[in-house]
Amino acid sequence: MTEASWVDFLLISPLLVIFVASLLPLTVSVLKPHTRKRPIVFVFCALIGLFSSAGLLLSFFGVQKNLFHKALIFDGLSIGSSLIILWITLFTLFFASESLSTATDKFAEFVFLLLNSALGMMIITWSNDLIVTFIGIEMTSLCLYILMALSREETLSKEAAFKYFVLSSFASAFFLYGVSFIYGSLGSTYLSEMAPIIGDLLSKNRLLLFAIGLVVMGLCFKVAVFPFHSWAPDVYQGAPTPLTGFMATGLKAAIFIALLRWVGTGFLLGETSQSLSDLIQWGAVLTMLAGNIAALLQSNFKRMLAYSSISHSGFLLMGLLAAGMGEERSLGAYGLLYYIFAYSLMTVGLFGVINLFEKRAGSEVNLQNLKGLASRYPWLALCVTIFLLSLAGLPPTVGFFAKLLVFYATVKQGLFWMAICAVVSTLIGVYYYLRPVIFMYKNEELEEDSIPKEGSFLETLESKIIFENESLSLQSEALSSRKLTCFLVFFSAFLSFTIGLALEPFYQVMVVALKNWL
Amino acid sequence: MFLSFLIFLPLIFAFILGGVPKKKLLFPLALSFSLLEFLCSLFLFLKFDSSTAALQFVERIHWIPSIGISYFLGLDGLSFWLVLLTTFLIPFAILSSRRSIQGNQKGFFISLFILESTVLGTFLSMDVVLFYIFFEMSLIPMYFIIGLWGGPRRVFASIKFFIYTMSGSILMLLALITLIFMTRSLPGGEISASLLDFYKLKLPFVAGEFFTTSSLLFFAFSLAFVIKIPLFPFHTWLPEAHVEAPTAGSVVLAGVLLKVGAYGFLRFVLPLFPQAVEHWSWLFLLLSTLGILYGALLAMAQSDMKKLVAYSSVSHMGYVMLGVFSYNMAGFSGSLFQMLSHGISTGALFLLVGMIYERTHMRDISAYGGLASKAPLFSIFFILVSLSSIALPLTNGFVGEFLILLGTFTSPGQRPYAFVAVLGVILGASYMLWMIHRVFFGTLGAKLRSKVEKESLSLDINLREKITLIPFAVLIFWMGIFPNHFLSWMRPSLKHLIQNRYNYQLSVLDSSSSSKKGEEKKENHFVVSKIHSKGDFKEDARHHKRSFP
Repeated sequence: MTEASWVDFLLISPLLVIFVASLLPLTVSVLKPHTRKRPIVFVFCALIGLFSSAGLLLSFFGVQKNLFHKALIFDGLSIGSSLIILWITLFTLFFASESLSTATDKFAEFVFLLLNSALGMMIITWSNDLIVTFIGIEMTSLCLYILMALSREETLSKEAAFKYFVLSSFASAFFLYGVSFIYGSLGSTYLSEMAPIIGDLLSKNRLLLFAIGLVVMGLCFKVAVFPFHSWAPDVYQGAPTPLTGFMATGLKAAIFIALLRWVGTGFLLGETSQSLSDLIQWGAVLTMLAGNIAALLQSNFKRMLAYSSISHSGFLLMGLLAAGMGEERSLGAYGLLYYIFAYSLMTVGLFGVINLFEKRAGSEVNLQNLKGLASRYPWLALCVTIFLLSLAGLPPTVGFFAKLLVFYATVKQGLFWMAICAVVSTLIGVYYYLRPVIFMYKNEELEEDSIPKEGSFLETLESKIIFENESLSLQSEALSSRKLTCFLVFFSAFLSFTIGLALEPFYQVMVVALKNWL
Repeated sequence: MFLSFLIFLPLIFAFILGGVPKKKLLFPLALSFSLLEFLCSLFLFLKFDSSTAALQFVERIHWIPSIGISYFLGLDGLSFWLVLLTTFLIPFAILSSRRSIQGNQKGFFISLFILESTVLGTFLSMDVVLFYIFFEMSLIPMYFIIGLWGGPRRVFASIKFFIYTMSGSILMLLALITLIFMTRSLPGGEISASLLDFYKLKLPFVAGEFFTTSSLLFFAFSLAFVIKIPLFPFHTWLPEAHVEAPTAGSVVLAGVLLKVGAYGFLRFVLPLFPQAVEHWSWLFLLLSTLGILYGALLAMAQSDMKKLVAYSSVSHMGYVMLGVFSYNMAGFSGSLFQMLSHGISTGALFLLVGMIYERTHMRDISAYGGLASKAPLFSIFFILVSLSSIALPLTNGFVGEFLILLGTFTSPGQRPYAFVAVLGVILGASYMLWMIHRVFFGTLGAKLRSKVEKESLSLDINLREKITLIPFAVLIFWMGIFPNHFLSWMRPSLKHLIQNRYNYQLSVLDSSSSSKKGEEKKENHFVVSKIHSKGDFKEDARHHKRSFP
């Protein structure tokens, strides 16, 4: 055991910077109370933190070191995942500063919590210790509970916050319970220390298997994997839209990278734990199918995306499995990492567009009132089209290349039955991703008589209950004040469309970043 | 660079059209752009070397070398005519949508140009992942064309079209990836998605066992292309899509997109899985024969003109598949020829149906009658094109069907299929002639008369439509009377495919490697003489053609 050196503190400076920057808005709002009316000031404070953190991370590229007695790992994977999380946070900040439900007079606190939540996510991705992972998870989740409840919107978001709080606490408790068993069996919670001995013990000690099951279950809950997914639609729908995007991408990215680290050290899915890998295979397949099939029945756009995000979790799990077994595991890791990147890029952008569409706090974006959108906002409609095509995994968008890489890895590992299930679920996905596209480009006037009743029973039922005939319309002045958001949306749509074509440099970067992963 | 230029020129046109502010300018601009593209593609005639089976105009750039993907384009006798057919049909698709597309013409033309670009990409890519990307991308503009500018049930039809096609192709993606990993076992050991490397793979085939790698891969590929063609019983998306699509959409769908399926068989399935093709050919022959009869019978029962043409497509594409699986020169050249002639004649039929629908807004056959007296010129064109679809001698349809039937008849063990498939010709004549009888002759239909009197319609075609139809009429006779003008361009490639049935390789035409090519040829010849010692039918189709006119 060595003392923590100054190098350790230097290397965690990206985390420290974020924390210090998160205090800035609070300080400013206390010292100069009139800034409370201008959320952009706080966004600026946060930007300082985000950019300096990103700059520090990039300047440390290539460094590989265990920090603080192996509690944290600093390597290419930490840099990459932190950059993804910072990117998501940046988008969320701008969207939140212009969303009616989040840009309240408590925006300084909002920024504080958001940055700390991002900090928690980064800690999750850096951790080499189950306890540190737990701290990261709790830091993220606690901030998210409050963030959701801070929304101006009354009932739905409070309900979502409470639901998320209760269920997520359960999951955290399971996680911690599992960790205690693991410590009891192995005498350590460090991944790198547990990995070499876990193989032998796992075959003898059933309790250890149970404990790992509990830990995995805790994480699966957070990313809404099949049996533990039922909270997601309610919470995603109820939360303010910028936060939904943040949760759906940031938390998912963080947890999956934590799982990737587990898999990389052999803590999870080694050769010996066959039963666990079977279980995860079933989980992945059922998650994909359950998410996609449920999404077919949704008429609320946000709820539909919530289910689609569940199915993407299944895809990510598939990549994780490919990263965890057999030879050439790195292919699976590349697939998983690239999928996380692609998914974050397109999903954050899409939630940004929905944010633009929401006229007032709590108004719902239904598929029906997407109609004729393209004639009024052709560029935004184009963006939505690109995002949806990308989510559906159609070439030449980034979503296709992400799926391609995951398929590569799955086929390489011989998991054909999973690949075929993924194909089926992709096909189901195409149906509900493409339907809104046609809705957007339709002309309303011509449609009344000609639409066949292709909607489900549930859809007609819901549209009767929530009879909202007003279609989405953005006031022109509202749009002009949202120029920056629009720009970010266009930018991410452009990236989603084109960046997949430049897969090669990304692949090389991933090869470098994951050099020490195995 | 020329092939990239051909592929990306329409994309540039689409961008330019996106920026055109005036609505009036759209149509002339789109038309001239598409003609420009067609003229550019004619340049291929000058440079294409029709004496060799090797790939020409090759472009190869490493794109994503880590997973073996390259940007690899090439042209040979298999794809030559399909490229030209694509560029030929697009101007007419645009011409036909002058009046029929009312809302958002700009979007429509942009979709058409993107469609053209992706279809050309499909025919020209020699890298399988690139092929897949273009293949899948071509669905998106077609989805919009059907879903936005189509008939009343367009949303359903477009989604059905999309999901049906994609369900096959995405399984093919898995098969592609499996094969890509196999290329590592080749000498060189590089992972590669190039088709040329795929051809070097020797997949062990176990006859009679379904769950072997070779069989499963074979079926994954076949399913994708069979759906695209579409072969009975995977054809159900086609009538829906055709009926709902606007005229231009139907023309491109029938004219070009269906050919991607048959092209896929010639390019992928036959060279990659020769033993599996041999073993399973009975299944495909059976399905194509059934498709020929079933499509023809269903066409006979249709009351909607467009649906009739759509089902006749199913029947005609059955012939194409029959020829592909006959595995001899007559059958192959017949297949490719039939693809072309089907593109021309069915394209023209859809255009004609669109023209009359534009005027009367009726597609019901029973609503018509006696049209010949009201629209003589239209009737002449319609009957001419129908006769070509029936396969009357001197028209293009005859050459294709005759060669295919000849090929099937002479192929060992396939004679019964030829006997049954001939019935399709008779049925084809009967449904077409019956429709002509009901639409053009007899007394003027009551509905039609009231419409004509009420709105003082002029039913006959105008100048724009004459210009649209004359090239089709010329081609119908040209292809029917001088088939060799067309067949000679594809012959070396097809011959190469037949001669190297079990070890198909494709070389790249390159001035510096001419000596190497000679060696390969010698080698191939050696193997061929070993395998084909039992004396398959290998006769050149040229012999039969001399007796046509």
